[in-house]
Order: sequence, then structure tokens, then C-alpha cells
Amino acid sequence: MSTSEANATPREYPWRMPANWWTRSRHYFWYIVREFTAVPLALWLLWLLVEIKRAGDGPARYSPHGSAPFVIFSVVVLLFSLYHSFTFLSLAGSILHFKLLDRPVSASVIVMSQFAAWAVASGVIGFFLVWLGR
Amino acid sequence: MIESSHLPAGGEGGRRPGGDARVPKTAFNHLVFWFLFAQGGIIAAILIPVHVLIQGILGPLNIVTVVDRHYDTWVSALGNPIVKLYLLVLIAAPFFHFAHRIRYLIVDLGFKAGKSMPAQVVFYGGAVVVTLITIWVLLTTVPIGS
Repeated sequence: MSTSEANATPREYPWRMPANWWTRSRHYFWYIVREFTAVPLALWLLWLLVEIKRAGDGPARYSPHGSAPFVIFSVVVLLFSLYHSFTFLSLAGSILHFKLLDRPVSASVIVMSQFAAWAVASGVIGFFLVWLGR
Repeated sequence: MIESSHLPAGGEGGRRPGGDARVPKTAFNHLVFWFLFAQGGIIAAILIPVHVLIQGILGPLNIVTVVDRHYDTWVSALGNPIVKLYLLVLIAAPFFHFAHRIRYLIVDLGFKAGKSMPAQVVFYGGAVVVTLITIWVLLTTVPIGS
């Protein structure tokens, strides 16, 4: 290699993926949907924060959200939320590796334990949300 | 000059352009943000759907009674310190997950600025701001024991 070549500025190969690459494959599309789930979930949690803040308005001014657009918004958020849950909890089998009694726990058992935890937590929280509302 | 972003990630096992061995270094920043990302993701996955279903759909449709549908029950619950702590975890932790996901969503859609330090400050700083606002709202809206 000559000296001039060795001192030459390294060539750069900038990323040139087209912006719509994720529309070219079903897998790419659902990958982007999975990443996008963060947006509606964040919006819904901000709504919950507002709902908490509104409790400070006093009994006369407090009225919980219950409009049709809000319910529709929640239905959309629920779909994204379920997609996030299924994809995130399913990944646990690939991410978590540990042994029990010197034997590796299989990925399917780990994933099932995650979904079981989700079911139990949903049941307990759902119970309290309703029970505290009586 | 070769930018560090063009070098192999991780800082281990590679060599500098001059040929000298690189010093292994623990990426503590990655450790912290990956931990927050994972914890926020698991909390969002396990806790959020049931809240959306009951507080966002079944309650407003009057299918079930829900704690936030009435002022008295809502204020009574919000005065409980355990409920406050739970709501802080429920609301704040997922935002560190969301910050990471939305930042990389922007990068994946072609906006490389999402990897820049200002973007990291905006997104992770935003999660910190949401956390602080949540703490403030929970402590000031309905004081503990009221």
C-alpha cells in the first residue's frame, strides 16, 4: 500500500435505506408496529396522569372521561398494548437463560411463566380497580 | 479521521486504526438504559392492558364499576401511599422503555439524528421529566391519608 493511500481519508458508506423499507415485507411492517406501540401507550398513560390530576379539582368539577371518542381511543390503545405484551413476553424465552437444580429451564417454560404472571397480575389489578370503585 | 461510530460497537476485542489493542471497557450507560428499557417493557406488558380495558373501556361503558368513575372512590384510593407508589411505577417506568423504542423507531425510519446525544437527552430526559411530574402530581393532588 502506498503512503498516499494509507493517509487518504477513509471512504464513508452512509446509510441509504429508503424511508419506506418497512412497507416491503410483512415482517418489517410488524417490527415497526411493535416499535410504534410505545406512542399510543405513552398517550394513554399521560391521560391517566391527567385523570389523577383532575381529582384535585374537587367533587363538583370532577367528571371522568367517558365519551365515545375516548372509548374508541382506548380500544385502539388496547390493541397496541396487547401486541406489545405478546411480543415482549414472547421474547423472554430468548433473553432469559437460567438453571433450576442444575438443569437449564427451557424457553417455552420461561415464556409460559411470563404469560402466567401477566394473567395473574391482570386478575389482581382488575379486581382492585373494580372493588375499590364500589 | 474515523469517527468512533464507524468502529465496531462494544469497545472490546477490536483494534484502533493504528494497530494498538483497545482497552476493554464496561458500557455502564448501556447497562443502565438497557435495564430501564427492560423493566419498563415488562411493566408495560404486564400492567397496562388491564388498566386500558377496565378504565378506558369497561368503566366508561358502565359495564363495571371502576375506581376512577366516582370522585369519592378515586380520591380515597389516591390517598393511599401504596396506590401512589404503584401508580408511579405504572406511569413512570414504561416511559424509559418508550423513550428507547421511539428513539430507535426514528432511527429505523431513516433519521440518524435519533442516535445523537441531543436526541438521547431529549428522549431519556423526557422520561425523567415525566417521572418528576408524576411524583409531583401524586404528592400534591391528593395528599397521603386525606
